[in-house]
Amino acid sequence: MINAEKLKLQFPIFNQKTPSGLDLTYLDNGATCHKPQSVIDAISDFYSKGYSTVGRASYWPSSETTVAFREVRKLVTEFINAPSEDEVVFNFGTTDGINKIANTFLRPRLSAGDEVITTEMEHHANLLPWQQLCIEKGAKLSILPILDTGDLDYESFETLLNDRVKFVALTAVSNALGVKNDLKRICAIARKKNIPVFIDAAQSVSHDEVDVQDIDCDFLVFSGHKIYGPTGVGVLYAKKKWLDAMMPLSYGGGIVKEVQLQESTFVDGVARHEGGTPNIAGVLGLGAAIRFVQSIGMHEIHSYLMDITDYAKTKLNEMDGIKVLGNPVHQAPTLSFVMDGVHPHDLSTFLNEKGICIRAGHHCAQPLMKKLKVPATTRMSLAIYNTKADIDKLIEVLKETQAFLS
Amino acid sequence: MNDRIKALYRSHILVNAKDESHQGKLENATHVLEAYNPMCGDKYTLYIKLEGDKISKASFEGFGCAISKASTAVLSKQLEGKSLKEMKPLVEMFFELVNEDSDQSPESLTDNEDLLAFAAAREFPERKTCATLSWGELEKLV
Repeated sequence: MINAEKLKLQFPIFNQKTPSGLDLTYLDNGATCHKPQSVIDAISDFYSKGYSTVGRASYWPSSETTVAFREVRKLVTEFINAPSEDEVVFNFGTTDGINKIANTFLRPRLSAGDEVITTEMEHHANLLPWQQLCIEKGAKLSILPILDTGDLDYESFETLLNDRVKFVALTAVSNALGVKNDLKRICAIARKKNIPVFIDAAQSVSHDEVDVQDIDCDFLVFSGHKIYGPTGVGVLYAKKKWLDAMMPLSYGGGIVKEVQLQESTFVDGVARHEGGTPNIAGVLGLGAAIRFVQSIGMHEIHSYLMDITDYAKTKLNEMDGIKVLGNPVHQAPTLSFVMDGVHPHDLSTFLNEKGICIRAGHHCAQPLMKKLKVPATTRMSLAIYNTKADIDKLIEVLKETQAFLS
Repeated sequence: MNDRIKALYRSHILVNAKDESHQGKLENATHVLEAYNPMCGDKYTLYIKLEGDKISKASFEGFGCAISKASTAVLSKQLEGKSLKEMKPLVEMFFELVNEDSDQSPESLTDNEDLLAFAAAREFPERKTCATLSWGELEKLV
């Protein structure tokens, strides 16, 4: 059983008051999560005790830091159940990973008349790279629609999946509605036609087990900062056959066999795709974040967060004038809602006055907002330091705001 | 933020956001301005009717948060009876009013409570774009 109040003590941000002298109630974890002391220490220790480059230098402290860096790759490999460390590439975050796969994997494989499938619920980061590439190539971007519940229209997927489709990209969880997608179902259908599937796991990695072999996806990306780790670091999982077949994801130092002035050859494996000095502090911080999550247990985290999410959903649904958007079969710990007569930005400003951090806006999902026929929503997204008391406080302030504004 | 401005924010902005006296399309407008914030989706169309060098009528339509709506409503009211030339210093004053780095107190800039309420944006820099959305479009015109 998770003791969130005790876990919260490990997060120094909560040891202070807001400028108005209030406790901080942080409900914007879908945007980014706070950092436990162990992550902050891993970053700080690297800069103060072990600073050096990795994989290139034959001196202390580089030797020790290189070992620590490699341990994180092993840790991530186990964390997402990748078949081998040769399939886990460090990058600078989810957006970086998506753009690199669009540019390096898909661009040379996409021609005029081909099709790419993505969904109606994507964050702009998992829409724009594919959309712009399709425009450039004269290819078609097919959109898998959502149903009124917010769930993907899985039955339409098989219809969309014709012989011209070269690639499928979708999110594990809708960042705006918290709809959890059936990734295995999508991958199994695409697999029958040998179409590669790309998963954006940024919104699922902190609360849901990621098992790339069980999902059977070709690519999967996530960011460190969404799982209690630092910003500026991310992970790209790709099947080895694709990593070996692709040109380097970015050119730079550390990726070559031999360089001549007019031509070069590149090494195999993940080193081929990690040009330049990596975000070493970020990778070490990510390692600490994953150890932190493992120390609690992903299964326990998931059960705990779903319990508070159900509680929040019930409380919000009990309120007059509040509408929770979407009612999916599987809900992630993210809920979007609208309050009658009150603009989400005004609501979030009022909540801020009470020390509650909540997100208002289109959540970088404008096509989804259009589908829902709302300009913006208010979104709460939970992490392991949140409690039912946070939800009670939210509901109380929502009622006050409602009385004042509408 | 001092208590007076906080109180003005709570009273005047909400009242002005709900004030429909200057809402609606203006036929025969001489100037039509589009104010759009792609970050949040707030969108207003501002109609201005210039007769001679004076603005005889101004109105707006669109949707957005209370702050952007109130500021657009207040702007519409301020426009009437003034020339575009006369609006220029007022627009400049408004931007100073919401500027959190300003060394001038809000009260030294204006005694108009409808305008003064927006000095609250100094406290919420992330809401400054809401307060200045329509004023920024007008600035291009004047």
